[in-house]
Amino acid sequence: MKTAPRQIVAFGGGGFSMESGNPLLDDYVLGLARAERPRICFLPSASGDADHYIVRFYRAFSAHRCEPSHVSLFRREQGPSDLRRHLLSQDLIYVGGGSVVSLLGVWRAHGIDSMLREAWESGVVLCGLSAGSLCWFAEAVTGFHGEPKRLRGLGLLPFSNCVHYERGSKRRQSYHRFLLEGMRGGYAAEDGAALHFVGEELSRVVASRPQARGYRLDVAGRRVVEMRIATTYLGDREAVPAAPLPEALATASAPG
Amino acid sequence: MSGNGGLSTGATPVRRILALGGHEFSSRPADRAVCELLLRLARERGGERPRVCILPTASGDPSELIASFYSAFAERPCEPSDVSLFRLGRRPLALRDHLLEQDLVYVGGGSMLNLLAVWEAHDIASILSLAWRRGIVLAGQSAGAMCWFEAGITKSSGKARAAAGLGLLSGSLCVHYNNEPERRAAYLDAVGDGMPGGYGLDDYAGLLWEGEGSPSAVTARRGARAYRVGSREGEVVESPLAARFLPAPAPAALREDIAEFRRIKTMRKRAGWLG
Repeated sequence: MKTAPRQIVAFGGGGFSMESGNPLLDDYVLGLARAERPRICFLPSASGDADHYIVRFYRAFSAHRCEPSHVSLFRREQGPSDLRRHLLSQDLIYVGGGSVVSLLGVWRAHGIDSMLREAWESGVVLCGLSAGSLCWFAEAVTGFHGEPKRLRGLGLLPFSNCVHYERGSKRRQSYHRFLLEGMRGGYAAEDGAALHFVGEELSRVVASRPQARGYRLDVAGRRVVEMRIATTYLGDREAVPAAPLPEALATASAPG
Repeated sequence: MSGNGGLSTGATPVRRILALGGHEFSSRPADRAVCELLLRLARERGGERPRVCILPTASGDPSELIASFYSAFAERPCEPSDVSLFRLGRRPLALRDHLLEQDLVYVGGGSMLNLLAVWEAHDIASILSLAWRRGIVLAGQSAGAMCWFEAGITKSSGKARAAAGLGLLSGSLCVHYNNEPERRAAYLDAVGDGMPGGYGLDDYAGLLWEGEGSPSAVTARRGARAYRVGSREGEVVESPLAARFLPAPAPAALREDIAEFRRIKTMRKRAGWLG
């Protein structure tokens, strides 16, 4: 049996949540889906399943180009009863922003963490911004509340991650300090930039804004080494819409 | 944590919890009666302008609930606030200090599973347990009432089933008791299967723990009751408790109307329109 590649697209910030009128990142992730009319499920857990956020998702991913759904973990009585089956049947799972601490807490309570790993391993594309980016990594820098803090994520990607990595930001300074204090090396992305991983390797960095960049960070001796990664601006005509990928899976395997 | 942070006097504060089977923050008489009780409990600790704080975690901090809480308390003598763990990004707050400064912490309903998971992630449970020991009143409805017990019956995963709580109060609680027959049935089954017994609370019924000993039952709506539920020789026994009725205070809006009516009456008298 051929296996679909494991893919994660981690936005530093952007997409319908932050860039109203600029669908470049959202179009990019939708383009990664194998299906003609991809099934995309929104997980707004980090916002406490805020109604306005769910509405914005359905407006951005309208039913004429995909099959959108969402899972509200605060209103389980209304959603799909078999969460695992629902998540595994998607082409794309899109995680919204908010509090990554709350997100991980709620996911654990419902066993979503292991379902997402399973989905990733079976070829469902995982993506998200902000909290929805940090969650995929082994370690992350959260600046959601007060001083930036170190945090453990789901660990699908064996790196650290920092989002909203703007020049002069507190997060950026804190990330560098954490690295010097022993945090593992990793990746950062500015608003508008997205890190596309295939397997556990960074495949490319794409952006919805011409200047937005992604970065690789490591510690060499007692210094943080920050490397700017060549980034494809998705607004360029020449930009390839999606990375070429191995042959599609015939169907998503039915969960047992 | 030093032991003298809470009180300067040697007295041990009375630990108080108000568990409510279900209500809303509306202008309906029964809802106003519940609010009045919350305010009275807060005043007993904090004086004329007590601090009351809502934790709407169990429903994901929705703005409608928060707004209804503020409108219920805004016109009363108190200092209302909210701690929205999902919205801290926009409104940073010293969580621990803020919660320990309150006279009453009210926990909203929703998903008991999510409530406890998010609290654990933010380390809120230990703060609330300390608040309780310091005499800060803990209150809440639905998930916000069951969370204080060893166990409750939640529909957080869709179907009604037993879930563990914080265990500040021993035994179990089932909310919306006669309002959601499916939940009551699941509770009776669970108690029959060995879950520690406890209480059933209809919407608008409540139980108030003040210090050691048994709670007192209150009700804000005729017919809404509190039940003791236990297992005796393999049989589940359910017995209603005598409850004190909470009268509804006059709504603020009505008082304004009355004031307006009196003003007009006085003006008319002065103008000699009325006899």
